[in-house]
Amino acid sequence: MPQPVTYRGMTLIVPDNDSEWKEYFAHARQHRLMLRACKACGLMRYPPTHACPWCMDLGWTWKEVSGRGTIYSYEVVHHAIQPGFKDATPYGVVLVELDEQRGQPTADEGLRIIGNLVKPDGVSFEDDTQVAIGKRVRVVFQDLAEHMALVQFALSDEAPPGRVWRLPE
Amino acid sequence: MATKTLRDKYCIVGVGETEYSRGSGRTTRAMAVEAVRKAILDAGLRASDVDGMLDYQGGDSTFAPHVAPDLGIRLNFYMDVVGGGSSTEALVGLAMGAIETGMCNTVAIYRSMNGYSEFRIGGTGARAAQPVRGMDLAQVPFGMRSAGQTFAFTFMRHMHEYGTTSEQVAHVKVAHSKHASQNPKAVQKERVTVQDVVGSRWIVKPLHLLDCCLETDNATCLIVTSAERARDLRARPIYIMGVAGRVSKPRVDFHWAHGPISRVAGYYAKDIVFGQAGIRPEDVHVTGSYDAFTFTTMLQLEEYGFCKKGEGGAYVSSGIIELGGKRPNNTSGGHLCEGYTHGMSMVIENVRQLRGTVDDTCPGAAEGKHTHDYSVGKCRQVKDAEITMNLGWAMPATGSALIMRR
Repeated sequence: MPQPVTYRGMTLIVPDNDSEWKEYFAHARQHRLMLRACKACGLMRYPPTHACPWCMDLGWTWKEVSGRGTIYSYEVVHHAIQPGFKDATPYGVVLVELDEQRGQPTADEGLRIIGNLVKPDGVSFEDDTQVAIGKRVRVVFQDLAEHMALVQFALSDEAPPGRVWRLPE
Repeated sequence: MATKTLRDKYCIVGVGETEYSRGSGRTTRAMAVEAVRKAILDAGLRASDVDGMLDYQGGDSTFAPHVAPDLGIRLNFYMDVVGGGSSTEALVGLAMGAIETGMCNTVAIYRSMNGYSEFRIGGTGARAAQPVRGMDLAQVPFGMRSAGQTFAFTFMRHMHEYGTTSEQVAHVKVAHSKHASQNPKAVQKERVTVQDVVGSRWIVKPLHLLDCCLETDNATCLIVTSAERARDLRARPIYIMGVAGRVSKPRVDFHWAHGPISRVAGYYAKDIVFGQAGIRPEDVHVTGSYDAFTFTTMLQLEEYGFCKKGEGGAYVSSGIIELGGKRPNNTSGGHLCEGYTHGMSMVIENVRQLRGTVDDTCPGAAEGKHTHDYSVGKCRQVKDAEITMNLGWAMPATGSALIMRR
């Protein structure tokens, strides 16, 4: 069993029998964002699960995605409850909608992933005033151990496709 | 499809609660015993009349097999359920089902928690030391663990899509603080202003401190029995017209994948509960909407059809939800001001509203005499309340509902 990973005071455990997450984090450690795609209907899904939520098929393959997307929603934590995050406040948490499979299989669905908005180094948090709905982001990988990296997002230099909005100060 | 209904066949006949405090100094077992005993006495029952027990918790309470025997209750049915918000209404429905099948006759439902002094929400203290594994890996490593942090994407997206403002939503706290000022039990009795709310410190944007509820030590109990059994009991029976339990959005545990994410579970629950009850939102006189946060009340009132989708901000800031308004919400002050009970206290309050026996500060409250003067420190009884509705919330993706009448 791989050693537990310590990150910001938390112990992250991905045991050998973690049939949802183990390969996902191993791919991330290779700096590849891989999602599960259904062998029957072809639709990708996140988080990694064992059945297709649209056709219930059990067959799947890993499929690489670009890691480019748009901030769909966000929050800024000012009062951290996890001790390891207290020195990072205020920090932004983002829900990123990937470019792939947007609006499929229904108009309001997409591949959405939670991460922090980080600087291009993939480690330090971006200034919280930079977090806004509609901004373009790209995936960056934060290496934590030999078998694990976190999937994070950094601002990209692409022009936003639509309205950029953040909570008025 | 016609909705199956047990409308008016079951009643809530007793309610009980302990003090709402921030330091009970005793066990959840002791508090549960007190709350269940009070509810049994309120119903005019004896311990031997109660033969069913349901409770819910998250590793922070005492199970029914330890509470029932303390009171001399012999059980024909019990079940300890994992859960917090949205459990109350769901367990009322399960109690009806247990009686309907003949497994038991009268069920006590309780929630007992040292929610402030022992087990606080959000994975702080002892819970923070738990290893992160499984589904938690999708969010906890990113500093997203507490309820507020988990719900904030939904709240923020609602503001983005509909132009909802912090000031509008703050009116929920303002209204509930007004109600709590007439509630001798409330943990926080001071009335607050919109400026107080939006001027309080940020917790997690878009939530200020005063957008968040008050963690509390407390136990609460409801007694459910058949309408037939209820007829000769002490208290006026309060009839259950409709109930929906833990109705959920697609992909509950990662509901952000399915949109719109500004939609909450009431979207799916409303047809079930209104279908059973045979009424419409405009027929409801008083609502009790789970207010873990100001936003949760706003979102649920909107989703259940008390206003149009997207107009929740305007609705909650219009005065409608205040005592004296057209349809007051959380007349006890709710979780934002009275205290946090994972939904139970709002059902207890609505039972009392329907009985006409709210425990406010009216001089004649003990005899059921109310002035209906809603100025500071006076009445909180709604005049001629005939139908109430509870909107229970676990998270944006899961909710429960309960419609009752006198």
